[in-house]
Formats: sequence, C-alpha cells, structure tokens
Amino acid sequence: MNSPVEAISFYVFAAVTLGSAVGIVLSKNIVRAATCLLGTLGGVACLYFVLHANLLAAIQLIVYAGGTLILIVFGVMLTSKSPWAQFSPTRGQVAAAVVVAAMLAFSMCSLMLSADWSRPSGSLLESPKVAEVGKMLLTDYLVPFEVASVILLVVMIGAAYLARPEK
Amino acid sequence: MTELVLESRPDINADLTADQIRLEDLQTEEMLVNMGPQHPATHGVLRVVLRTDGEMVLEAVPHIGYLHRCAEKIGENVAPYQYIPYTDRMDYLAGMNDNLAFALAAEKLAGMELSRRAQLIRVVFAELNRIASHLVSMGTYGLDMGAFTPFLYAFREREMILDLFEAACGARLTYSYITVGGVTQDLPERWIDVCSEFLDYFEPKIDEYNNLLSFNHIFVKRTANVGVITPEDALAFGLTGPVLRGSGIRWDLRKAQNDLGYDEFEFDVPIGEGLKGTLGDCWDRYYVRILEMKQSVRILRQALARLPDAPGDAYDKRGKTMKLPADEIYYELENPRGQLGFYIQGNGSTIPARVKARGPSFCNLSVLTHIGTNCLLADIAAIVGSIDVVMGEVDR
Amino acid sequence: MAQITLPWTPKDPEKLRAYRAKAVKLLFGLALLQLLTAGALYTVFSIGVPARIEDWKVIVVVLGVLGPAAGFGACFLGGLAVILYRQIGAFLRLPWVAFVLFCGGVVGACLLVWAHALLFDFTKHMLEKPIGTTEVATDLLGSGLVAPLTVREIYSEIRSVIPQPLAAYLLWPLQFDLVRDLVALAGIIGFVSIVPVFGIWWERKVAGRIQSRLGPMRVGGWHGWLQSPADGLKLIFKEDFIPPEGDRILFRLAPYLTFVPAICAFIALPFAGAYVFRDLDVALLFILAMLGIEVVGVILAGWASNNKWSVYGAMREACQMVSYEIPMGMSLLIPVMTVGTLRLTAIADAQGDGFHSWLLFRNPFCFVAFFCYYVAALASCKRAPFDLPESESELVAGFHTEYSGFRWSLFFFGEYAAMFIVSGLAVILFLGGWKSPFPESWALQTGGPWYQDFVARVLNGMLLKEGPILFILKAAFLYYVQLWVRWTLPRIRIDQVLYGCVQVLLPLTMLVLLGNTFWILATKHLELGWVDTLDTIFHAALVILGYILVIGMIAIAAYGYMNRRRLVGTLAVDHLPGA
Repeated sequence: MNSPVEAISFYVFAAVTLGSAVGIVLSKNIVRAATCLLGTLGGVACLYFVLHANLLAAIQLIVYAGGTLILIVFGVMLTSKSPWAQFSPTRGQVAAAVVVAAMLAFSMCSLMLSADWSRPSGSLLESPKVAEVGKMLLTDYLVPFEVASVILLVVMIGAAYLARPEK
Repeated sequence: MTELVLESRPDINADLTADQIRLEDLQTEEMLVNMGPQHPATHGVLRVVLRTDGEMVLEAVPHIGYLHRCAEKIGENVAPYQYIPYTDRMDYLAGMNDNLAFALAAEKLAGMELSRRAQLIRVVFAELNRIASHLVSMGTYGLDMGAFTPFLYAFREREMILDLFEAACGARLTYSYITVGGVTQDLPERWIDVCSEFLDYFEPKIDEYNNLLSFNHIFVKRTANVGVITPEDALAFGLTGPVLRGSGIRWDLRKAQNDLGYDEFEFDVPIGEGLKGTLGDCWDRYYVRILEMKQSVRILRQALARLPDAPGDAYDKRGKTMKLPADEIYYELENPRGQLGFYIQGNGSTIPARVKARGPSFCNLSVLTHIGTNCLLADIAAIVGSIDVVMGEVDR
Repeated sequence: MAQITLPWTPKDPEKLRAYRAKAVKLLFGLALLQLLTAGALYTVFSIGVPARIEDWKVIVVVLGVLGPAAGFGACFLGGLAVILYRQIGAFLRLPWVAFVLFCGGVVGACLLVWAHALLFDFTKHMLEKPIGTTEVATDLLGSGLVAPLTVREIYSEIRSVIPQPLAAYLLWPLQFDLVRDLVALAGIIGFVSIVPVFGIWWERKVAGRIQSRLGPMRVGGWHGWLQSPADGLKLIFKEDFIPPEGDRILFRLAPYLTFVPAICAFIALPFAGAYVFRDLDVALLFILAMLGIEVVGVILAGWASNNKWSVYGAMREACQMVSYEIPMGMSLLIPVMTVGTLRLTAIADAQGDGFHSWLLFRNPFCFVAFFCYYVAALASCKRAPFDLPESESELVAGFHTEYSGFRWSLFFFGEYAAMFIVSGLAVILFLGGWKSPFPESWALQTGGPWYQDFVARVLNGMLLKEGPILFILKAAFLYYVQLWVRWTLPRIRIDQVLYGCVQVLLPLTMLVLLGNTFWILATKHLELGWVDTLDTIFHAALVILGYILVIGMIAIAAYGYMNRRRLVGTLAVDHLPGA
C-alpha cells in the first residue's frame, strides 16, 4: 500500500463489508438483514474508492445501494406480515445447504490459494477516464452492452405484465 | 387498548403478534386503519375506520359521538332564551345561524312577531356568519389538500368579520347574540359603515381565492371526479346545503320557505354543474360554497341599505318571559352546512317539554360510507373536507 | 395573590447567587490554571526561541500550548458570560446587533475560507519545492514514516511574514494530507450545519410573508433570527422516545442514513474552482448516488416506527423518490453531454463568459432540461407539491411521525441540506456555477499595489468574475424558489405523482435527451452552415428570453411592493401585520 491511510481504510472497509455480510446471514429479522445488505454494498463501494475506481464506486452506489437495495427492502416490507419470520428448515434442506456450501467453499479456497497474488506493475493512482470507459462500452464491448439492455427491457416488460391489475 | 374491529369484516384484525405469524404466499394484505379521532384532516373529533388494500380504500365507516354533550336533554330544563348559548356550540363555526334557527322556532311556536329592525339585523348577521363559515371551510379544505396559504388568507378576512361581531356583541365565536325576541342589543355606531367597507374590500378577494385555489390545476386534479354524489343519491340520503346543491339540485330554504325574511332580497342559488369533472364531485361542492359567498355579499349589501331606515326595537323583552303553548313545531333554517332543524314541544310553561336538533352535518356525514369506497386514501381527506362537517352538530 | 411555583422558578435567589459565584470562581480558576500551564510549557520548552526549534516539540505545542490556550479562552468567556448574562441578553435583543453579527459572521466565514485556502496553497507549494537544506527529514516516532517538511524549514519560509516560531509549529501538521482533509471536513460540516439552521428560519419568514403574516419575530430580537438555534436547543432536550414495539436499532439508525449522505454529497460539490473538497471526475454521479441513498433511511424510519401511517408514508416516499431519480439523472445528462465531462468544476468553467454562456441558454433542449430537472429534484427532495411522505394533514407526519427531538431534527437537517445540494447542482450545471453573469472583460485587473490588488480581488470574487459567494447566492435563489413553490401549491396525490413521472416527465426527458444528441451532432460534427446559423439564432433567442425573465421578475416584485396597498387591500395593510 502506498500510505498507511490506504491500509487503514482498506481494513476498516473490509471489516464493515464482511461484518455486514455476516449480519445478513445470521440475522433473524428480514428488514435488518436488508439493512446489513446496505452496509455490504456501501463497504464494497468504499473499497472501490480506496482503489481509485471512482466511476465504479459511484455506479455501485447508484445502482445497488440506491436501486436494488430499495427494491429488496420494498419487497420485504410489503410481503411479510411481520419481520420476525421464523425459518424452520427441514433436515434434508439443511443437508443440501451444507453440501452446496462446502462445494462453494472448497472451490473458492482452491482458487484463492492457486492465484498469483504478486503485486502487478503500474500504479492505480489515477482513476480511468470516464470518456474512455464510455468509448469502450460502445466500441469494444458493444455486444454485451446491447445484450444487457435487451435483458433489462425484457425484465421491465415481464414485471409490468406480472403486475398488471386483474380484470 | 381496544381492538380495532370492523363490523362488516370481523375476520380482519389489526395487529398480530410475532408468534402468530407464518411465512405465507406473496400477497398484499388488507389493513384496518384508524383515522382519528385526533387527526388533522377530520375536522374535529371524527373517527373513520378504513379498510384498505394498499392505497385503495375499500370501506370507510365513520364513528361519531366523541363530542356529545347532551344538548337535547338540557333543552328540557331551561327556557328558550336560556337555551340559546347551547345552540351556539352545535355548529360553532356558524353560531349566529344556529341561534337564529332556534330563536325562530321558539318565536313561531309562541306566535311572537318581530320588528323589522330585528329581522333585518338578524339577516345581516346570519349572512355574515355564512361568509365566515364558508371561509373556514375553504381554508381548511385547502389545508387538507396541502395548500397552506389560502387558509391564512381566509382567516385574515374572517378576522375582520369576527371584529365586526365582537363590536356588535362582544364575542368572537359563541355569540348568543340572536336570541328569542330579536338581538340582545342594537348595533353600535358606524357599524353599518364599517361593514360596507368590509364588503367592498372582500368582494374582489373571492376572485383572488378562485385564482389561487379553485382553478389551480393541482387542486382541481385532487378534487374533481372524486367523491361523486349523484343527484338521486343526494336526495335519498337526505343531504342538504351545499352538499345537495353541489349535486345540481337547486334547493335552498331561503327561497323555498317564505317566512325567513329573504323574500325581499335578490340573490341566486348557485348549484354545481360538473364544470371541472363530474356533476356532484368534491370540486362542485367546494365551488358552490365560493359562489354562495358572493351571493351572501349581495344579500348583505341590500340588507345594509335598508337597515338605517328600519323601524322598531332590536330586542323584544317578551322573549324572556314567553310561555310556550302545548303545541309542537319543527322549524328548519338554511345554515352554511345545510338545513338545521329544531323541534320544540311546549307544554304551556316557559320550559319546553322536548327539544330536538337535526344537525345537517349528521345527515351529510352518512353519505361517507357510500362514496368512501374504491377511492384512494388521500381522497378520504378530500371527501370529508368537501362535506364540511362540524362535529359539534353531528354529536350535539 | 397565591404564590405560583413553577419547576424553573428559583426558590431562593440567595442560593442562585451562591451557585453563580461558585461557577465564576471555578471558571476563572480554570482559566488561570490553563493560562499558567500554557505559559509555563511555552517557556520551559523554549517554543518562542528560533534557535531551539525541534520537531518533536510540535506535540508540546498542540497539546500543551494550543489546547490550554483555547481552554483559557473558553473558560474566561464562560466566566464573563456568567457575570454578565443579563446584560448579554439585553444586548442581543437590540435590533442592530443581529445584523452586525450576521454581517460579521459572513465576513468572518469568508476570511476563514480564504485564509484556509491560502494556508493550504502555501503548504502544497512548500511540499513541491525540492529540499535544498541539509536537514534530516523527521522520522515520526521511529515508525519508518517520514514527514517531508521540518519545522525549521517552515520557519525559514514564513520568517519574513510572521517571525514567530509558534506559527511554524502550528503549520507543521498541515503538511499531511489527512490533516488538511480533516480541517476541510470540519469546514464542510460547519457549513452543512449552518445551511439548515438558516434555511429553516428563512423558510418560516418566507412562509409568513406569503401568508400575509410576519413569521418568527421575537427570539433574538431582530426578526427572530435566533429562532432556529432556540428550536434546536429545545429539540435536544426533548424526551428520547422510541416506540416500544418498533425496531429499536433500525429506529435509531434511520435518521443517520438520511443525514449522512447529504453531508457526503458536499464532498464532491464545488463552491468555486479551488473550493472543492475532492474534485472527483465523476462528481455528478457521486452526488446523485448520495441523494439516492437517502431513500433507504426514509423507508427504514417508516418501518421501524411500528405505525401503519409511517409505513404508508415510507412506501409512498420510496416510490416517489426512486421514480423521479430517473428523469433527474437523464435531464442532468444534457449539460454533461454538451460540455463532455462529468467533472463539475470543468462544467462550470465552460460557462465562464458571462450570462450568455450559461448552459441554460445553449440550446432549447438545455432550457427544457433545466425545468425537467428542477421539477424532478423537487420530487426527489420530497418538497411540496410532492410532499406526500410528510403530508401533515393526511398522515399526521408520514414517515417521521414517531420521531421527536434530535432524531427528528436530523431528518430535517438532511432535507434542507439536500435542497441546497440540488439547487447547487442546478446552478453548476445550468446557471453558470460560481461564474459571474457579467462578461469576462468586466473583471478587474489584479497585481497592482496591495490595496488595489486587494480591492480588485474582493470585487472579482464577490461580483465580477467568480467566487463562492456568487455560487451561494445563485443556489440561495433556487432554494428560495423551492420555498416559494411549497407555500403556494397544493399537494399532488401519489398516483398523480407517479403518473406525472412515468407518463409525462420521463418521455419528455427522453425526447429532450434525443433532441440534444442530434443537436450536438449537427452543430459539432457536421459542418453545415445553416445548422450553425440556426444554433446562433436559438441561442440568441434564449438569451433574450433569459434577460426578459430576469428583468421581468425584478419588475414584478418591485411593482407588487410599490402597489401593495392596492393589491392586498387597504383594510389588510392598515390593520394586519405582515400585509
């Protein structure tokens, strides 16, 4: 790290992110879990800021914290009669969850252990120019961009169709 | 804490505790919501229980009685001239009109004739109080809709009317000025001139209110096509006053009944015409009140012109000692909110045997269950405001 | 007459005098103690001797001299206040005192900001100079971190201006970025606290005047200028009531989720070219993100109150704010497209040529975009006519019904700060930012003799060229329009609000965006003569329209003021206050 401030910030924001993630998993209250999700998304955005990826951080905040999270909280608020929902999973469900979690943990650990953590050359002191990102989106990465917009359009149409008033 | 239960749907209860909940399928729930009795939009202590599905109101049931003060029973214990202050407190925003209704009923029962001066003064005060009452109604309606400013303009003008009342009788809200036998005291000096000055100042203000509130696009969108009362429904529910006239029925006791003293005055009876939406919507009822203020100004000018030459005393002392014959009378008067009726049954003494008051707001409020269905929550405030209830005469 | 005992009535004036005497003794004693400590440490460590400057003495200066000196000042003033409190109250109530204090405050704030900018510039300038002396750089506490400048170097730089080593000690911490950031943050938080306090007072006065009354008049003497601090003090002392069935943690958290993003948005909001905490290249996106996070706080506030009415308010609020963020963002894209960058300082710099260069008049699409943005911003700040979430007459108070005291005031701090941010964004993107409406040629020349230079700089900064005062004045005007609209228009119903957003404002904004795209394409990239002339004609027409609007507004205001007897009515003007 270039300066102690960056190191401290990294550890602090990482702690916030991971702590909130743990909060989401362990919380028995749905709305509190959604609030912890805000902490996680915000923590990730702060990490992006530490890495000088300003554009990505701002977009993370607008799209995730300001959009997706609100929809999740909205859905939670409107559909649950009480936030203190009791989950009582069956033993089969617990077993399946343990198996999936173990597979995921194993694959992630092996990936992390085999990765090359040596420091890349060059510094990240400058955030990428927004104009360049925009140009790349419309030239090199045009197809994924258009596909994403088509997907969003389909989602909107589907949502409007599902939410139509019943005649 | 009492449970919130709706009689028509006892299966919906308001609050479930945590251990009664299970995760159910995705569905929105119907909620029972209690509006009032302390609520800024219910114009007094009115409680409305609403069954809502999200933002839509499916059923609205008003609960009343929070302001009941046994006024009718008290009427059996006091003489008519002593009962006048109790009538003040029924429709406290139109005290003069309440006083007038009861005084006329008692005088008609006893067969007392009044001097011309007393009659004219009474008409002047009744019309001034009509203007004051409609100003409050208009101001608070704007306040319910979120327009804070017309409320203060209305009260600025109403302050001047209340100053006139205070000069005449010393009180600003519960006057007891119009009493059995006339008015308690004659007008002070220059009162007529100051009143004419006020009328000259006030008449252009009505156009200002129209520009600020009545034809404001947002206000029209909030009130037009909302809470429509069809003319048939209006007659079926026994509505009176601007609520009835807003549905297009030209019925005004001041023109229909010819013993109130209004025959000599020229004035129109405005009705709703569905200008901005449907006939009988909230905007029509509101606009009828605005137009009635204009007509009241007309009546006032004519009355004030005739007042200086009117002969007679303002007060007839016989009102205090008058005996009520063993007869009964039901007499109605056109109040700002509708037809206020008093039924008095005398038994030969000075104290009546039975007094009953028909409060116009009581009958008008009954239409809330009919029109408060399938509207939005914000519309309930619009509807209650347009019916213009005063809980004092609903509960008596 | 019966003796009325109230809780705050002093039962015994003797006891009260004894308390006051004790307090005065305590305060003056503490002051003396602190003065002696500061003096002693100053002498013992030879802070004032240039020959004995050592870097480690900075700690002594900050903790042992500066701290006690500030404490001395506070305790001494406190003691004076206790002795003179009656006279102070009477003095504050004189009408001119408020005005003088206000002007002094403004001037003081300007001087502080200018001084801090000067200091920071000086420090940065010193940091960039190569180290030509033979001094060894300080190793902070042996941690391996090196401070670039020593106190001796700083002292040698400033010796000609301030021959005091104490000043060099005090400047030493400023060489670190973190310290400079903290000082700037303190300034931002100070400003963010002043804006709602002043804004609430101003709103109440404006509301009063529109409603033919006066507004606050008593607290503090002159037009109730101390009303907001008095209300804030009262709110702090209110009972801290948390609804028993509600979610306690979320209830406590929600006001901060609304308030903190509003402060954070000031990180990226520039007040002038050099007066920005962080000149982000994505400043606009960052501010929009902060305004979007506020919604979460509002939803949680409604939910955690365990009150159906609050939940209603929160749901309406979420719908409304989230829906209106789209037209807001899209209409902000239009000046961004015209200038070509998201960096707010660059956008404002592109409008430096006077009134006609403001982006508002660049092309008709920018003109329409301003109004689209303003309406969407009104909805996003939940101001009337879109103030359903706090509609007092329907839901009592919407999502903040159960909040009282300090938590409630935090919501309003957040709202008024957001109003200022939104106005500030509109000013930067459409109304020329901190640039003056006068053309560049009117700016005075600086660099002459010091008095001429000073006057030229002040006039340039306040009126003629560019400066944070111009930005604040323009933002204050848009802020005033928000207040004006609130007290004039009724409230719109939620379904009409959403209809207006999705079926009116959104298509309009999209059309304007499309139109602007083609306009820029045609004017910048196609070399067609007729397109350029069309552009000039529209530009000129819009500038003329702008002049008409400005002059018209001033003329109508003057006409209304001079004819108020006729317009309001003589009866009202003669008999009622505030008419």
